[in-house]
Amino acid sequence: MSRADQEIPFFFGDGDELFGIYHPAAGAASRAVLLCAPLGQDHIRCHRLYRQLASTLAMQGMPVLRFDYYGSGDSAGSSVEVDWRRCLDDTVTAVRELRARSGAERVLAFGARLGASIALTAAPAAGIDDVVAWDPVVEGATYVAAQDAMQEAMRLDTQRFIRARGRADAEGQWLGFAVSPTLRGQLEAWRVAPQTAPSLLLESAPRPVEWRKLFGEETRIQSLEDLTPWDELSRLEAAIISPPLVQAVADYWRERAYA
Amino acid sequence: MREQAFRFGRARHLVGIAGFPDRGEGTVGVILLNAGLVHRVGPFRLHVDLTRQLNALGYPTLRFDMSTIGDSGAAGESRSRNQQVSADVDDAMALLAQHAGCKRFVLVGLCSGAEKAHNVAREPRSHEKLAGAIFLDNFAYRTLGFRVRHYLPRVFDARCWKRWLARKAKEQAGAEAPVFGVAPLPQEVVRGDLRSMVARGLKLNLIYSGGIHMHFNHHRQFRECFGHVMDDPAVSTRYLKETDHTYVLTGDRQRLIDHIGEWLVRHFPIVQAGALP
Repeated sequence: MSRADQEIPFFFGDGDELFGIYHPAAGAASRAVLLCAPLGQDHIRCHRLYRQLASTLAMQGMPVLRFDYYGSGDSAGSSVEVDWRRCLDDTVTAVRELRARSGAERVLAFGARLGASIALTAAPAAGIDDVVAWDPVVEGATYVAAQDAMQEAMRLDTQRFIRARGRADAEGQWLGFAVSPTLRGQLEAWRVAPQTAPSLLLESAPRPVEWRKLFGEETRIQSLEDLTPWDELSRLEAAIISPPLVQAVADYWRERAYA
Repeated sequence: MREQAFRFGRARHLVGIAGFPDRGEGTVGVILLNAGLVHRVGPFRLHVDLTRQLNALGYPTLRFDMSTIGDSGAAGESRSRNQQVSADVDDAMALLAQHAGCKRFVLVGLCSGAEKAHNVAREPRSHEKLAGAIFLDNFAYRTLGFRVRHYLPRVFDARCWKRWLARKAKEQAGAEAPVFGVAPLPQEVVRGDLRSMVARGLKLNLIYSGGIHMHFNHHRQFRECFGHVMDDPAVSTRYLKETDHTYVLTGDRQRLIDHIGEWLVRHFPIVQAGALP
């Protein structure tokens, strides 16, 4: 049986509403990893990379759980039902599931973009011991403005549509996904809390952020050589692939095992 | 309805989500194939929305990742890509047969997914299990009608000429770069395939979008490309000029899903237990 055969797809949580894939590791493990997905199209674009990361970490001896929040991926609920608070609750539920399946004492989390924001915000309640964040969103209002701008550009894009689409056709959506006023409001009001800093921050976004000012000296900051085209409309449906990212996360947690 | 996650297939290498309706056992099962390299949820979650609406109508469904796509692994076989696709679809059918009692199936594919569905449906004995197929932006050929509709309005437009010249210059500059791709089936072969599918009793639904307007630009082009078989009552065609290739706007997506649901109900009505046929 190959390792891929052992990846277990399943539903869990109240009413079996959440979908996850568990990557077991050989032997008993003291640390397990939760992968927190980003939201919207970032989630679909990162799917392959998350799987590669999960396989790499599992081969390194750390059990991994990937999962979809309510209203995203294969989990129950429609896209318009994605809710920030529910994402945080789902993360707590996923940590509980991961602990039960793996028997690990410590749970670490990785997230890209809003996935990192969710991991950082949910960490105290979920009992997450360590977060690695990749280009985290730190200010919801900026993210909302960027999504609005991209949605507007997309409806006018005559590479995509024969004719630009009307405002009404595109409103209440971000790049393929319906967005409720509730989620929009939650994100607009959200800012990262400095007390929940990641231990490793991987940056590859074109726009520089003053990470030190935000997270202090405890956070290790590592720049990836290639920029990630998160907000390039022309690459909206291109997968995000980054072997250096996978390597960096795997190396970091291997190194920390002996720290 | 309820959904269940499965790891299945001849090498337990496939991952998929089956959706089971509360009623309608024994009807056709609907199987969704990957669109490009997007995992089984489909572009912007199209496959999730579609399967759930079909479950609500009474159809069992399976959205799954084919070999080496999404969460599925390789089967470890030495087969051609087409043979592998057929074997994956066989595995998917076996799963729905086992868990939902389906004996016949409808395939749904977008873009490369449509091409895969076509390759399965063109097999001479496919009708033994396959009842129909829904092709979203499948093969398209630039017919004379296409060229007239495309170029005529552009002949006197200086901007179009400028863009054309810029594109040609770019193509020439990149002429040394190798191109890797799969050549589409020749038009005559696809025509013959579609005739054969209809003759063998398959119901076909061809839905093309404005997103492929560089290859297909009018409803008339279905007949221009594929001939008289497009007039057969077993064939439905729809050209959605306004929409893009992957249905990025939620309204477009919902209209597509409604259309697919209506087509299925028309061609494969749900028979209630105890009801007279």
